[in-house]
Amino acid sequence: MSKYLDLSITEINEKLKNKEISPLDLVMESFDRIEQNKELNAFITLNKEQAIKDAKELEMAEVDNLLFGIPIAIKDNIVTKDLRTTCASKMLANFVPIYNASVVEKIKNKHMIIIGKTNMDEFAMGSTSQTSYFKAPHNPWNLKRIAGGSSGGSAVAVSSRMTPLALGSDTGGSIRQPASYTGIVGMKPTYGRVSRYGLIAFASSLDQIGPMTRNVYDNALLLNAIVGKDEHDLTSVDKEDEDFTRFMKQDIKGMKIAIPNYFVSEIVDKEIVEKVHDVASLLEKEGVQVDYVDLPYLDKSVTLYQIIAMGEASSNLARFDGIRYGYSYDKCQNLDDLYLKSRQEGFGDEVKRRIMVGSYLLSGENAKTYYDKALMIRDDICKSFAKCFAKYDMIIGPTTTTVAYNLGEDMDNPLKAFLDDVLVIPVNMAGLPGMNIPVGFSRDHMPIGLHIIGNYFEEAKMYQLASRLEEILKLSLQPNYREGGIKDE
Amino acid sequence: MSDYKKTVGIEVHCELKTNTKMFSSAANAYGDEANSNITLLDLAYPGTLPTVNYGAVMLALRAALALNCEINEDMFFDRKNYFYPDLPKGYQITQARTPIGINGYVEIGEDENSKKIRIHDIHIEEDTAKSVHQTDHSYLDFNRAGVPLIEIVTEPDMTSSDEAMLYLEKLRQLLLYADVSDCKMEEGSMRCDVNVSISKTEQLGTRTEIKNISSIRNVGIAIDKEATRQEELLNQGIVIQEETRRFDDVSGTTILMRVKEIGNDYRYFPEPDIPKLHLSKEFIRDTKDNMPMLPDDRIEAYKKRNISDINIKKLLQNKPLSDYINLFLDEDIDFVVLSNLLLGDISAYLNRTMKDLTDTNLSKTRCLELLTSLKEGKITNKNIKDILIDYLETTKDVDTLLKEKGIENINDTELLIKIIKNIIENNPESVEAYHNGHDRAIKYLMGQIMKETKGAANPAVANKLLQEELKKV
Amino acid sequence: MTDKLSREEVLHVAHLARININDAEIEKYRVQLKELLDEVDKIKDVTNYDKDMMITPVKEEIKMRPDVEKDTISFSLVRDNIPHTSGNLIEVPVMIHE
Repeated sequence: MSKYLDLSITEINEKLKNKEISPLDLVMESFDRIEQNKELNAFITLNKEQAIKDAKELEMAEVDNLLFGIPIAIKDNIVTKDLRTTCASKMLANFVPIYNASVVEKIKNKHMIIIGKTNMDEFAMGSTSQTSYFKAPHNPWNLKRIAGGSSGGSAVAVSSRMTPLALGSDTGGSIRQPASYTGIVGMKPTYGRVSRYGLIAFASSLDQIGPMTRNVYDNALLLNAIVGKDEHDLTSVDKEDEDFTRFMKQDIKGMKIAIPNYFVSEIVDKEIVEKVHDVASLLEKEGVQVDYVDLPYLDKSVTLYQIIAMGEASSNLARFDGIRYGYSYDKCQNLDDLYLKSRQEGFGDEVKRRIMVGSYLLSGENAKTYYDKALMIRDDICKSFAKCFAKYDMIIGPTTTTVAYNLGEDMDNPLKAFLDDVLVIPVNMAGLPGMNIPVGFSRDHMPIGLHIIGNYFEEAKMYQLASRLEEILKLSLQPNYREGGIKDE
Repeated sequence: MSDYKKTVGIEVHCELKTNTKMFSSAANAYGDEANSNITLLDLAYPGTLPTVNYGAVMLALRAALALNCEINEDMFFDRKNYFYPDLPKGYQITQARTPIGINGYVEIGEDENSKKIRIHDIHIEEDTAKSVHQTDHSYLDFNRAGVPLIEIVTEPDMTSSDEAMLYLEKLRQLLLYADVSDCKMEEGSMRCDVNVSISKTEQLGTRTEIKNISSIRNVGIAIDKEATRQEELLNQGIVIQEETRRFDDVSGTTILMRVKEIGNDYRYFPEPDIPKLHLSKEFIRDTKDNMPMLPDDRIEAYKKRNISDINIKKLLQNKPLSDYINLFLDEDIDFVVLSNLLLGDISAYLNRTMKDLTDTNLSKTRCLELLTSLKEGKITNKNIKDILIDYLETTKDVDTLLKEKGIENINDTELLIKIIKNIIENNPESVEAYHNGHDRAIKYLMGQIMKETKGAANPAVANKLLQEELKKV
Repeated sequence: MTDKLSREEVLHVAHLARININDAEIEKYRVQLKELLDEVDKIKDVTNYDKDMMITPVKEEIKMRPDVEKDTISFSLVRDNIPHTSGNLIEVPVMIHE
């Protein structure tokens, strides 16, 4: 079996240019790997026929950019024309979109090849991908463990080297947390960087699409390809074109980094805190100033997130009523039946809980007590971050409080999903960019991730720091669960 | 009569005259094939997002300015959440917190009887889909879903059905003249909901809302019927419930639709998909500058040009004619003649042929030609009838038509004198009456001249000559 | 403070969300929803905050769209996704008319 997909993007690009390999070789290798790793359950729908067709069409085309012909996996809440898009829900189990999300158009413009739609938490609600109607994906570092969520399938596809690239979406950590659990690089860009047109909304003011890749360079390349103002999305922001790789070879000496004390407090596992301290020392050796600081409101973020995300979700998911598309209860006696039973049977537990709580939080006077107040405190969080960024270039901390835990653990605890994301949620509240990079392993050899938070639209600076750390750490990040080298304690 | 005082507040929904919908770029058109004017957003397809129509915002702003509102320069939208099949997203995008206009007014009545009805706010929202119902099923057409609406909410300032009707007529006229909406109640492009309460004291009574009344006349009936119903209940010691009723055209009464749910059930919250919409000073100024002439300004302009009150009233009821006459406001012409012409023979022609003025060839230049011909006596009020249809339907000029029709205007003084002499000779008693100071005799003799000349005589010239000839007798 | 919602409270929120729930689900949600609501109640502990609301992270004002028709789709494109149609209309159980 060929191993072209283990090569770097630049190496693959060289071979494509020299006609040593063709896009079809890459696509076939990708499908082989998916087939061999079926038990990981990374994909909900494969795009095999079309992907092969696309690859063949590229044979004669000029290799015009680094991402040309590269297989990519797309999270299944990003709509793809003529390719089933389920949001991992029974509600959309047979839904075939008739348009492409704006990011998908951009992917196609760069001639990347869409391999399939990845598994996730239903409607991106969850932190383990276990709320998927199509059963949870497994962590390639240990099959018994969760891949994280909600972009679990995308994380698995990249981590297990099925595809070099994937798109995820991040509402409250859904790119960064699974990236951390599976040892890959995941970037949630600044809110507004990437068009949300065609992303099936969970919480509109928090959702953001971002790249998930094997390394920092690939990540920046993929971000280059997907950013930009979109006339279909009023929340997308008009920024001058920039190359996110441009600072990567530059020295990080003189950078100022803050570590909020809350991020290294007792809510985080000790070995993870130690890893963060280790990184801090490494950075200091590089001439970076690292200060431990107090950043107010971080402990309130989960509460605010719950109110805002569930409130918005309850409204965003009202359109799923069995009338114009999606699951429709077919034995209904009357209109009420159609609503009540289509939604009862079409949605899973986690989604129903969140819609119910969200509806409640917006009803009557609650809208003021909870929702409006949450938006006010949210504004304060932003101001608090702004103060920090007046003094520091970036903020770092751990991405998660623990490494990936066992599948099935704590399934009935409705709070668990939120608490898993306690460290990554503040970033969504403020709309800031945040990324995960692997910085080591736990004693049971599960990946540990570092969370880098940048100021608005300063992704390039984050990549500069991340790539330097990647270079210093030189981690071996290819999981190999098959060869039994990894044991669960 | 009753000791109860009525208090009425009115909410009007008006569809804006745009090319496209409020938040999608599908056509805004009435009467097209079902589900033909839709984009994916209008069916609330997953992943779609709203955009904001400049045309709709401009018209809403114009309406707000026409209603004397203060303008909110920084606006957000809000979501009003409820489940109904005609509401595809499960929420309506509206403006609950930052309506485009607030604190406006509409003035009704005239002079000492005038009264300001205060406008609480005017906000932008979107229409729902159209549904038709059969026994077991309803059927949805999303062409109307997302059509831009403005909702205009008054303070409870009206105290009678008459005032309510006056307000609605004035509002309708204002919105029509601001060119914001068709305001066709029969097609649903203007819809009224009325809040009615009665009380014997200053403290307002419990109000009921009457929805979907299909004409201004019915608004008046509905208010009176509802006030009577409330009074009967109160007289029986029954407490009025806050409820929504609908007006039934057939029985002319209001019928209970639903009792208001306690508290706010609509789960309003700010629309996160639409960041701040800022109306620049420049945009507001341009909109003001481009405001079509509103009714009150037209009345003033017409009065200045000596158009009669009755003609002014008629012109205001016929916007195309009023717009047409406005083309001439800078011209030095006789507006009495023009308004008579437009409201008389031309209106009769338009009504008979079901045409609009724009369907005719009466360009401004041709109209000026016609007016000059009248002034110069080339044609008269009488024989204009003989050429008018051709003048409206062809591009021939006055002279050509007069020739074609064999109409010769008698400007020939000698010929006229001959005719006048003849008439004087044949009507000695009138001549005598004239000399005895009876003015009516002149009128009679003039009539004879016009009759003899088949209306072709220039009345001014004929009159002058007649007087001269009479003096000679 | 109890550690469960009442049946009525659960039924109320289920009704707001238009989700049917059976008896077993009611019991489950009495506990689970209560846990979530207790968590969000922590917002009441925050007493010192500014009144500015952050509706979206986007600070820029929006650009409006020109009033020109485009992106209209044919009904035939979406027909396959619609559970029930009749001609060019979408069919639903009769909308109880108020």
